[in-house]
Amino acid sequence: MQLGKRRTFLAAVLGMVLIAPAVIAADIGPLPALKYDEAKAELGKRLFFDPRLSGNAGISCASCHVPENGFGSPTALSKGYPGSGNFRNAPTLINTAYKKIWLHDGRIGTNLDDLTREMITEDYIMNMDMRLMQERLKQDPVYVRMFKEAGYGEPSNGKVRKAIPEYLKSLTSRNVPFDNGTMSTAARRGMKLFTGKAGCVRCHDGPLFTDQKPHNTGVPENFDLFLDPMNHQAFLAFAMFQGIENYMNLKRDPGYYNVTLDKADMGKFITPTLRELKYTAPYMHNGMLETLEDVVAFYNAGGGADSNKSPLLKPLGLSKEERSDLVAFLLSLSGDPLTGEQYVWKEPYPEEYEAVTNWKEVRN
Amino acid sequence: MFGSETVDTRSVSRGMGGRKGVLGCWFLFAALMTGWGAGCANQAGGAMAAGAKAEASGPPPLAPLGPPPIPPDNKQTPEKIELGKLLFFDARLGGDASTGCSTCHEPAQGWAWAEDFSRGYPGTVHWRNSQTIINAAYYPRNFWAGSVPSLEEQARSAARGAVAGNGENDIMEARLALIPEYVERFRKVFGTEWPLIRDAWRAIAAYERTLVQTDTPLDRYLRGDESALTEQQLRGKKLFEGKAGCIRCHNGAMATDFDYYNTGVPPNRRWEEDGLAQITFRFEQYVKGQTEEGYRTAKSDWGFYYRTKNRWDKGKFRTPSLRYTMYTAPYMHNGVFYTLEEVVDFYDRGGMDEEGRTTPFPENKSKLIKPLGLTDEEKEDLLAFLEAFSGEEIIVEAPELPEYAPRFTRQELMEAKK
Ligand code: HEC
Ligand code: HEC
Ligand code: HEC
Ligand code: HEC
Repeated sequence: MQLGKRRTFLAAVLGMVLIAPAVIAADIGPLPALKYDEAKAELGKRLFFDPRLSGNAGISCASCHVPENGFGSPTALSKGYPGSGNFRNAPTLINTAYKKIWLHDGRIGTNLDDLTREMITEDYIMNMDMRLMQERLKQDPVYVRMFKEAGYGEPSNGKVRKAIPEYLKSLTSRNVPFDNGTMSTAARRGMKLFTGKAGCVRCHDGPLFTDQKPHNTGVPENFDLFLDPMNHQAFLAFAMFQGIENYMNLKRDPGYYNVTLDKADMGKFITPTLRELKYTAPYMHNGMLETLEDVVAFYNAGGGADSNKSPLLKPLGLSKEERSDLVAFLLSLSGDPLTGEQYVWKEPYPEEYEAVTNWKEVRN
Repeated sequence: MFGSETVDTRSVSRGMGGRKGVLGCWFLFAALMTGWGAGCANQAGGAMAAGAKAEASGPPPLAPLGPPPIPPDNKQTPEKIELGKLLFFDARLGGDASTGCSTCHEPAQGWAWAEDFSRGYPGTVHWRNSQTIINAAYYPRNFWAGSVPSLEEQARSAARGAVAGNGENDIMEARLALIPEYVERFRKVFGTEWPLIRDAWRAIAAYERTLVQTDTPLDRYLRGDESALTEQQLRGKKLFEGKAGCIRCHNGAMATDFDYYNTGVPPNRRWEEDGLAQITFRFEQYVKGQTEEGYRTAKSDWGFYYRTKNRWDKGKFRTPSLRYTMYTAPYMHNGVFYTLEEVVDFYDRGGMDEEGRTTPFPENKSKLIKPLGLTDEEKEDLLAFLEAFSGEEIIVEAPELPEYAPRFTRQELMEAKK
């Protein structure tokens, strides 16, 4: 996107915000363009879809972050590594490169390099020893060439953690009605509610529609987390590692409490982006709300039941029309699906590892 | 790149917070260089002294096998052994719940795996031959190069290694906690509220200490039953103790001196032809703390060297027991010989295979290994005697395993206060 053009949109959007009633200082607008290196991103793309990055070569990043589902998980709770389940919904990766804090509980606040390592090595995600991964990649001549062409030298685990984030930079919203000024009138009415009466913008602010801060909205627990021992075991392993006391008796996802171990943060989750919701149902950290209508009804009732719930959430008294306008606005934040070859690696991977032929003569 | 990335992968760990074995490996390595290193030196010194003694009075004779040593901090009880058996056969003690101890130590395959390299964790192949569990309890150190000091440690490292069990402690412990029968059994045996993974290794070790064989024809003979060995086997025994010189290393009740030698075993050719095996080969160089140059140039298993970092230890392996070998083909650390005939021919040639291939480190080869000049008949006799180290095949049915159950009822979850 050209800079000049972007400014015009931004101004237009901000103009609209300013004339909205009961204005809350809102900073919503289109996303700035992201630059990325084509060769590195192309390599990252091949890695992202490659099951050989997991311990038993059974699942890839895309097994849980499904392109057709906005690079999120279509089930309430994500799949887990084979032999385990999972305890949270896999969030969209579209626009994740703009974020400053990741995961539902915000436990990674550094960069996507660390996050990629977390995904690859975690028991219930990909359970991979990255030293073995590196040797697998070195055995595939296509990777040897692609790493070289990307300027990375020989395949290494450090460069995997650079290439995948580079690819993630290519996963950004495309052709979004809100960004290019083609919102329906219902969506425009919905935007007024979003920034005004419904107060959504208090938390869902900025071009990503998130303050990237933790809040407790009272989303109900997903009991499948505990009733299915496969999910529960992943949760226990996680809670154990996070150092949460009495984890065997925990009956809820503690959220941001993981990070601070401060009771005041119990049940808080990082505000998610509202872009690309069209593809990412079900919603919330545990997929408990199936549709956007359900989400709006949830907020209209003042959120869920939790003694620690954010004081920002109160019953909204939205009419049926208002609720449907709000949904129309939320949908206007979604762009084209990122399912074409530009985003998805479609070529097959070799079924076997080719042997290095003159093995005894070459350096490892 | 190797230098900086080495630091990265090994010290920062697989996960975010500094766990995941990698760190362990590095510490282990440090331990090797200090405490254990001293242990190694002692052992080597002891062996040298024993060697000198052997010159004078000959190596210790073969002997009948008594009960295995039981460590004072892990006493045998029937309940513990029973639990250990379940765990030994339970693949949930591994990353994707597919590869447990019994997967690679199959009772019907000699409590090992009947291929040169052991099968690996799914998506991998191992790089060494799987060892039998039978009589493993008698070794002061386990693995082909003696890298772990006890069965308890051994179980831990087997369940975690990326080409073996690839299981992390936390997920395995979590799984045990959700299997009510295990919770009950661990509580009875170890007195803990919830199963601890280190107690799982203790129970497995206790079970392994029951997997012994002490009534082979040779044991019976050595205890006084003269009819237990055939005439041919007796001729073989004589060769074993004399002309063939096997007794120099394969001596005592376990038919091993527990020491390390380079006998001239050639590298496995699979590394030249098999991509999957090449991956594991390099991975192991990495994991075992090779220098960059070592990682780049190694083309064979350096064995005992990985522990001592002494170049004269390259290609040395622990003398294995000869007990139960009737059932544990193929042989040697890399399974290059598929029959005991091939092994005997190998020794007869002075440590060479039929193509004349030998260790890439001939300078380290034991002086005790030289051409033997055995006649065909003598080879037959020796082979017949080797069979006397094995009794009946030990077959155990896999037990029925307890199942997962939810920890809470829906009612309990609904009543939870938020
Ligand atoms: C087995 C399923 C699974 C696989 C495979 C997987 N993820 Fe995830 N991913 C998740 C789940 C679940 C979460 C949310 C976890 C949480 O909040 O604790 C997540 C979160 C993320 C996030 C954070 C997004 C945000 O906005 O906070 C990123 C980025 C991500 N994954 C990238 C990847 C990459 C890259 C790979 C491959 C290297 C990968 N994931 C593989 C399930 C998976
Ligand atoms: C107090 C801050 C706050 C306010 C106000 C707020 N939200 Fe949220 N919103 C959040 C948080 C935090 C979550 C994640 C909760 C979870 O996962 O448990 C969330 C989740 C969502 C989701 C689900 C996104 C996904 O990918 O799963 C939608 C949609 C949403 N909010 C829309 C709205 C709308 C519409 C409003 C106004 C009616 C609103 N929010 C008001 C904090 C807020
Ligand atoms: C993927 C295959 C695999 C799995 C799974 C596996 N092992 Fe092993 N085991 C091996 C191989 C190969 C060796 C030799 C390794 C070496 O020397 O580096 C070995 C060696 C051993 C030894 C050493 C015997 C001796 O003579 O010193 C014992 C004991 C043992 N394993 C027990 C176990 C237990 C207990 C488990 C389960 C916790 C287990 N193994 C899981 C393949 C496996
Ligand atoms: C110098 C010490 C030494 C002498 C002498 C020696 N061995 Fe060995 N033996 C070893 C070592 C060390 C190994 C393991 C080598 C390896 O794995 O690379 C071994 C392995 C074996 C094996 C394979 C066991 C298994 O489980 O794979 C057999 C069988 C064997 N020896 C029989 C003999 C016989 C028969 C003789 C006499 C002809 C003999 N050995 C002489 C040290 C010795």
